[in-house]
Amino acid sequence: MRRICAALIVCCALTVDPVSAGALRVVAAYPYIGSLVEKIGGTNVQVSSLARGDHNPHVIVPLPSFIAKVRGADLLVINGAQLEIGWLPPLLRQANNPAVQPGERGFLDLSRSVTLIEVPAAVSRELGDVHPEGNPHHYLDPENILLLAGAIRDRLSEIDPDAAAYYQENHQKFIELWRARLLEWSEKMAPLRNARVIEYHKSFDYFLRRYGLVLAGTVEPLPGIPPTSKHIERLEALLKGQPARYVLQDVYNPDDASRHLAEKLGMALRFLPHDVGAVREAGDIVSLFDEIVGRMTR
Amino acid sequence: MHTRQWILPLVLIVLGPAWTRGQEAPAPTDQSSPFNQAKFVPDISLILDCSYLLRSLPDESYDMLAVPGAAADDEHGSSHRGFNLNYLEINFYSIVDPYFELFAVLHVSEHHFHLEEAYGLTKKLPLGLQVKVGKFLSGFGRINEQHAHYWDFAKRPLIHETVFGPEGLNEVGARLTWVAPFETYLTVGGEVLMGENASSFGRAGIHSEAVQVDEESVNGPGLFVGYGRTSIDIGDASLLFGVSLGRGTTRVDEGFSAGLDDGAALAGHTVVWGGDLTIKYLFDAIRYLTVQSEFLYRSTDATLYTGNTPQVFQTSPFERRQSGFYCQAVAKVGLQWRTGIRFDMLLQNEIVEGGIRMDIPENLPRLSAMVEFNPTEFSRLRVQYDYDRSRYALADSRFAEKTVHELSLQLNLAIGAHGAHAF
Repeated sequence: MRRICAALIVCCALTVDPVSAGALRVVAAYPYIGSLVEKIGGTNVQVSSLARGDHNPHVIVPLPSFIAKVRGADLLVINGAQLEIGWLPPLLRQANNPAVQPGERGFLDLSRSVTLIEVPAAVSRELGDVHPEGNPHHYLDPENILLLAGAIRDRLSEIDPDAAAYYQENHQKFIELWRARLLEWSEKMAPLRNARVIEYHKSFDYFLRRYGLVLAGTVEPLPGIPPTSKHIERLEALLKGQPARYVLQDVYNPDDASRHLAEKLGMALRFLPHDVGAVREAGDIVSLFDEIVGRMTR
Repeated sequence: MHTRQWILPLVLIVLGPAWTRGQEAPAPTDQSSPFNQAKFVPDISLILDCSYLLRSLPDESYDMLAVPGAAADDEHGSSHRGFNLNYLEINFYSIVDPYFELFAVLHVSEHHFHLEEAYGLTKKLPLGLQVKVGKFLSGFGRINEQHAHYWDFAKRPLIHETVFGPEGLNEVGARLTWVAPFETYLTVGGEVLMGENASSFGRAGIHSEAVQVDEESVNGPGLFVGYGRTSIDIGDASLLFGVSLGRGTTRVDEGFSAGLDDGAALAGHTVVWGGDLTIKYLFDAIRYLTVQSEFLYRSTDATLYTGNTPQVFQTSPFERRQSGFYCQAVAKVGLQWRTGIRFDMLLQNEIVEGGIRMDIPENLPRLSAMVEFNPTEFSRLRVQYDYDRSRYALADSRFAEKTVHELSLQLNLAIGAHGAHAF
């Protein structure tokens, strides 16, 4: 045992943290955050994302390799609003990195920079997998990306003040590009205003709200509960006279119920990427929204 | 006397309402409740586990059986046919201040209540270090640190139960862990524990004036555990590999110090080695396959004292070498469905007393299979079948194997604020 202790101490001494020699090491909970940090941080940051973009963001398997990433991070950026509650806390606890604990400069919760919608008046697990702080998929409102980009710029500048001007410059460039895109997306989405849609899970509510689409129902009876035949029958009855334009389906949940509904009532089934990497075409934060808008308007 | 007894109640009845009337509704000028601490209530969760058990043997016959080479478990009654309330686990967790977190886990069964874990954890140590102090489940191996509700099968693996007993290696002490600042996950942990695990360790002294035995008790920690874990990802597969070592003082005293004529006691050392491997393969966003295996080896070298009068007193060397493993494959096959099998075996089972090897059966197997339905992450229904060939009846100092079939339907429910689980 004494030998083990000694070995441990020697190891610690030998591997004194290679304090961010050069690049700032940023760990992003989801790929869209990673992409956004890359846009603002440019060559000054070394970004790695934990979760995969094509997996269910609520149920990420917390792989041990994530612990190593969090251990080495100067900054951890999360989506917040309890989207990570099922997988990130144990990683944070096991990583032994005081710099990225909640409350520290190295911890950024993006949900703090936006206004959350659908904040439940009462919370009970009878209502399924509800998030007490509101719908956590806030970044799918493209207008919110401007706020998130600002929060990332501010935090990078705070941690690495020497490069503040560089982050500001990158931020400015990104904002200009984004505003141009926003105009383009608004134009494309305009004909869909007031169109009724069904979605599998309440993932795209922020997006729908931004462009004035109407959510007519969800394939899930309750958040996080898979569709039941009873619920699907009810949806069918509800939509019979007035079918919705689209059934929106994410890429990670089973699509049989959505497919059945779409076919039965003559609605179009659209698979939307919810994150960077969810589909091949959504390679970064810009093409993610290009792809969502493209798939909605095709 | 009799009349005096009336006075106090009478006064209260008369004055009580009058007094409250006097206090009636003074409009509060300040609406604040300056000393309210409701927001600081820790996360509290309750986990209930119950089951319905069908078994091929009547309870009376089953209770007579034991796994040869494993210490008999007198404290925990085994589960019986019919309904079982296995446990209610009460968890508390909160951040203490910027420097510490506190966890407490209470394990409650129908007639017992015990503190499973209660420990503080540092938050701010530099260099990738963390200290845990209190009573906690040792980081030895893979399954030991996990709470029962997180297991894939209802029972502790045979070798685990043989080496660490029904509650696992759960001790009072301190742990230091270090996470290497490498791209590859590597963590090392060292634990200094009191070493009171009755199945392998112990601290109490052994004394007998009649036959002049004086084994001193261990003053201070008697058990040291070290472990290391590393992991790599290969494509969609993730591998976690660990090695563990525990070494501690062993003391068993069955009526010897108490002066019983047929008392026996054991004093010596036990070393336990462990190796574990977990492979998780993600097929897609929903389905995965996890293969997990653990191997344990226990070696005890001690002195055995028997008989408490000079006429029958004997001292003999005692050696125990045991090993075993389990290997399980669990697949998540749908949003709410999981299924798995586990093969469980006690391999070497060698006990040598005074140079004579005892006649104890070896290679004791058990096979388990389960199907799980999880309506949500807070509820679970599981059907588990066990084909158990590890249990023996002792008749005329000979072991006779009794095959046991078990089928159990388990219900596990969780409420409150319960933290997420690690890999």
